[in-house]
Amino acid sequence: MHSEVITANLDYLLLGSWPQGQLGGMALTLLMGLAAAALASVLGIAAGVGLVMGRPAWRRLLGVACGTLRAIPVVMLIFWCYFLLPVLFGVDVPGTLTVIAALALIGGAFLAQTVQAGIDAAPAGQWQAGLALGFTRWQVLRWLILPPALRMMLPSFVNQWVSLLKDTSLAYVVGVAELTFVAAQVNNREQVYPLEVFAFIALCYLLLCSLLAWAGRRLGRSPQQA
Amino acid sequence: MSPPAWLGYDWLAPRFIGWMLEGVVQTAWLSLLVCVAASVLGIVLAALQPSRLRWPVNGWLAAHRYTPLLVQLLLWYFGVASLLPEGAMLWLNAPHAFGPLTWPSFEFLAAFIALTLYSSAFIAGEVEAGLRGVPAGQYAAAHALGMRPWQVLRHIVLPQALRLVYRPLLGQYLAVIKNTSLTMAIGVAELSYRSRQVETETLLTFQAFAVATLLYLLLVLGTQLAGVRLQTAQRGYGDA
Repeated sequence: MHSEVITANLDYLLLGSWPQGQLGGMALTLLMGLAAAALASVLGIAAGVGLVMGRPAWRRLLGVACGTLRAIPVVMLIFWCYFLLPVLFGVDVPGTLTVIAALALIGGAFLAQTVQAGIDAAPAGQWQAGLALGFTRWQVLRWLILPPALRMMLPSFVNQWVSLLKDTSLAYVVGVAELTFVAAQVNNREQVYPLEVFAFIALCYLLLCSLLAWAGRRLGRSPQQA
Repeated sequence: MSPPAWLGYDWLAPRFIGWMLEGVVQTAWLSLLVCVAASVLGIVLAALQPSRLRWPVNGWLAAHRYTPLLVQLLLWYFGVASLLPEGAMLWLNAPHAFGPLTWPSFEFLAAFIALTLYSSAFIAGEVEAGLRGVPAGQYAAAHALGMRPWQVLRHIVLPQALRLVYRPLLGQYLAVIKNTSLTMAIGVAELSYRSRQVETETLLTFQAFAVATLLYLLLVLGTQLAGVRLQTAQRGYGDA
């Protein structure tokens, strides 16, 4: 192994050209992953609730939209956001934001399915009990159904977050300087030891994703065990 | 009334639609090969779970699940290629024919290997869940009949396990079709690659991506529909 190719480029791989220039590398990967995971969770919960509580016409529309998003590759949606958003709105959207938007939409579409199933799994008796106590449908959802349902769904959410963190690497195809892109840059510049460069970033991702999965499992333990 | 300016005024010429269809063929072919190979490997990995090889197998699965597919593709395409002797690389990059079959390009080969290893790690997870769902009595009864361990797996347990996790497995196959899109990054001329090519050539951004997206929808939803149909047909047969 030739580790000098890693040590010589370590700052660039981890931080990009920051602080002189733009933040990049692993730091940008983490930021994009966090933003996409947070947005996808909000979208997923909103869409999942909409799929249960909305009017029939809206539910059908939402269902078709989510199904379409789940059926197309992330790369295609990134192309749509990256090449067409600027043309449609006539503004220059930074590549980083378009990738976050694409990841949030796809992640949200997958989470919506989880949330819908989680709410549907709540026993009918809980709804009836809540309504009998004079709660409105939305109050029953907010105070009785959602809290335990979301706790049950935590493993699915963590899986989706891990997926999103991995999928930030697709920003490579539109030239956003996250970890995979800077690694390819280093590889092109050095022209030697590609195995070392890509094995190193694979290890970085492995570390981040395992940590996230592990933290999710810890968080998901029932309170009695804590 | 003319269409808005951002749509462009032209539809794609037949030549470019042809490129797209070539892309679909490449995507479908790669997906099919990967699904078959990853299923075999996934079943082997799942069957090894209860064995003494559990820890190395778990490490292998984690390494493939918790790193991006794109990085694994680059690792195989650039990294492993750099380890091979020069003669081997020259041979792999040159065209070869075996009767009617042609040896695939190095890009295709690297894509196939990386995608198969990646997908098998997820398929192994589904198969393992299926194996755990088969009642212990089934194993015991088959052993009592004098079957060898692999016969128990092949004839008794595996068919039941695969039926249990049919839907999640189908989901993994759909993921394979979608994941082949990443191989454009190493130059496999599948559908996403072709759509970019058409886009650069014609500057008809909207049309190029719309056609590609539509073709992906057809491929993925068509496979899903066929898979669900197959399941209901088999169920009907079993019940009769």
